[in-house]
Parts: sequence; C-alpha cells; structure tokens
Amino acid sequence: MPIGLLGRKIGMTQVYTDTGKVQPVTVVQAGPCPVLQIRDKTRDGYDALQLGYKEKPRRKATRAERGHVSSDLESKRRKKMPAGTQLLPKPNCEPQTFIREFRLEAPAADITVGKVLTAFEVFKDVKEVDVIGLSKGRGFTGTMKKDNFHGLGASHGVKKAHRSLGGTGSLSSNRGSGRPKKGKKMPGRYGNERVTVRNLTVVSIDAENHLILVLGSIPGPNGGLVTIRPTNKVK
Amino acid sequence: MKNKFLKVVEDAAFKKVAELAEKSETKRVIEPFQVGDTVEVHLRMLDGDKERIQVFTGMVISRRGHGMGEMFTVRRIVQGEGVERGFPLVSPKVAKVTVKKTGAVRRAKLYYMRDRSGKGTRLKERIVREAPAKAK
Repeated sequence: MPIGLLGRKIGMTQVYTDTGKVQPVTVVQAGPCPVLQIRDKTRDGYDALQLGYKEKPRRKATRAERGHVSSDLESKRRKKMPAGTQLLPKPNCEPQTFIREFRLEAPAADITVGKVLTAFEVFKDVKEVDVIGLSKGRGFTGTMKKDNFHGLGASHGVKKAHRSLGGTGSLSSNRGSGRPKKGKKMPGRYGNERVTVRNLTVVSIDAENHLILVLGSIPGPNGGLVTIRPTNKVK
Repeated sequence: MKNKFLKVVEDAAFKKVAELAEKSETKRVIEPFQVGDTVEVHLRMLDGDKERIQVFTGMVISRRGHGMGEMFTVRRIVQGEGVERGFPLVSPKVAKVTVKKTGAVRRAKLYYMRDRSGKGTRLKERIVREAPAKAK
C-alpha cells in the first residue's frame, strides 16, 4: 500500500472547471504528518510507517504519548537499560492526537523518523484517492433510514405502522426453526462506524495550506479526522 | 462562521472564475443588487464554437445561499406568461449583471409577485441615502 496521510474534513463547497462546469468538492486538510516510527520487517514482522496528525497539548498527553515522540524523556526503564543500549529513533516532536500506520510493500528508502510529510509531496501525482473516516452517528434508527426498507403502505388499512419493517420471518425462512434468521436487518444503532469511500478524483491541491479538494462527499462531520491514501481500486 | 480554510478555497475558486471570464472579450462585471431590483443578466452562450451573449431582463425575486453556491432568481413576463430563471451568482457563464431599476421591498423573497399581474407588479424605487445601502 502506498503512503497516505492523516487529516481532517474541512467541509464542502463548489468550484468551477476550466470549461465552466461546476463541481461539488470536499475540502480535506491532509497533513503535515510527522513520521513517528518506522516498522521493520525483521523486528516487527512487517514494513510500515507510523504517522501522526494534529499536535496534542503536552499537559493533555499521557506520559506514554510524550515518551513515544521524545528521546529525552527520563524514565526508570531507560535508566535501567545497560549503558550503550540503542533506543529506537524518536521524532522529537509534540505528542500527536491521531496516529495511524500505513503498510508498505518494501522499506521506505528516503523516509526517516521525524520527517514531516505534506499533502503536496505525497499526493502531487495522484489522480484518485480513498478516504477513510468515521460516519456521523445517527443513534437508534429504524429500518427505513438504516437499511433502505420501504416501510408499509400509507393506506389500504395500515394502522400506525407506516415505517415498520414488516414481517421478520416465516415458517420456511429459517428451515422451520421458529426463530428469525441470524443477521435479520432490524432497527438499531446506525452510523459512527468506519466508512471507506474509494476512487475519489483529486480536483486540486493547495500546498501552502495543506488542502486537498476531492470530488464528491466523504464520511463524517466537518472537522472529523480522516485517513486519505492513493486509491487501491484496480481499474 | 465559516472555516478559514473553506474560505481560502472559495476565494481561490472565485478568483479562478474571474480569470476564466477575463479570457473572454466581455469583461465580467457584477453590479451589487438587491431583491426587488430590475436587472439585466448577460449570459455567455456557446453557439457552435463561437461565443454569444444572451440577455435576460427582469426583477430579482430571491437571493439564496452564500459563497460559491449563491443563486438568484429573475422573473419577467414574456407574452403574458411569467418566466423565472435562476442563476448562480459566481459563474463564468454569467458575464454581466447590471441594475436597470431599484425597487423598495420589505421581503427577502418576492414570491407574491407570482400572484400579481399588470400594474400590480410595479415597485417603488428605492431611495438611497448617503452611502449605498448594501455592497455586493
């Protein structure tokens, strides 16, 4: 998987193409993301980059979070180590709020811990991207909104059940067990789950403000944290 | 309040529209107008590969949206039949908007004009005191 970036959904607007057509776009702020750790095939069993996004105030970060990014933090464990023990390289940056790993096929050659990746260098030649986010939580929801059921009729004798899901089973639906099938779609919690939207066209990149404009909508509320990567959709 | 990054994007998009329009012969001028004004909307039409300007004149009966998505509706009477057309305020296709006549109104949306005909559709001119009432 190629390297992506972490970011934030800013909001939607529209822009015009060179031919005067209007396009609905979502503005995503991607990066700058410091590399926090490099996973190694021999040591960790796989190659990956661990990126962070958005600084977290030090007073709010836990000791572990502060230690993860700093090589200077004093600790009992570090003191106990025999002299000359090599610690893993640390980025020496501020603690990060949003941390994710990106798997790599082969070790990244020119990337070292502490390097700050920006939208322009990662996405400059990328035409389509995937965006992963957490969808808006909708709470306890009926089947019409959640599973696109059609509900019952508006008339013909339907009483107070116009948005109902209808029957949940029949004698033959589960080999006559007398119970509804496992996994039957019913009302329940909807949203607040990981959603991936694939193959979104990149309209433009604003290198100065780390903004990427993608065509169409992405999951989550404005300000929601997202992962953005070059698409893995095979054409 | 709008996010500052969204504003950055919209400002850039607005500039691009202005630049697109500059390539053409007619200069893009959008005069500030309000609901109730009678305006002339100049539209770029592509006739084969030649550009041509079409003019739509009428009264602005609504303005809605903001930023890049702002739209306005113009109503006019053609052969006794009311015709309404909506335009995006920021579009390279809209070449020019000129105010022909102002109109004093107390509503944001003049949908009541649809029920009126003849002399009932006239509006008093807006009297502008000192500074212009509203920019853009």
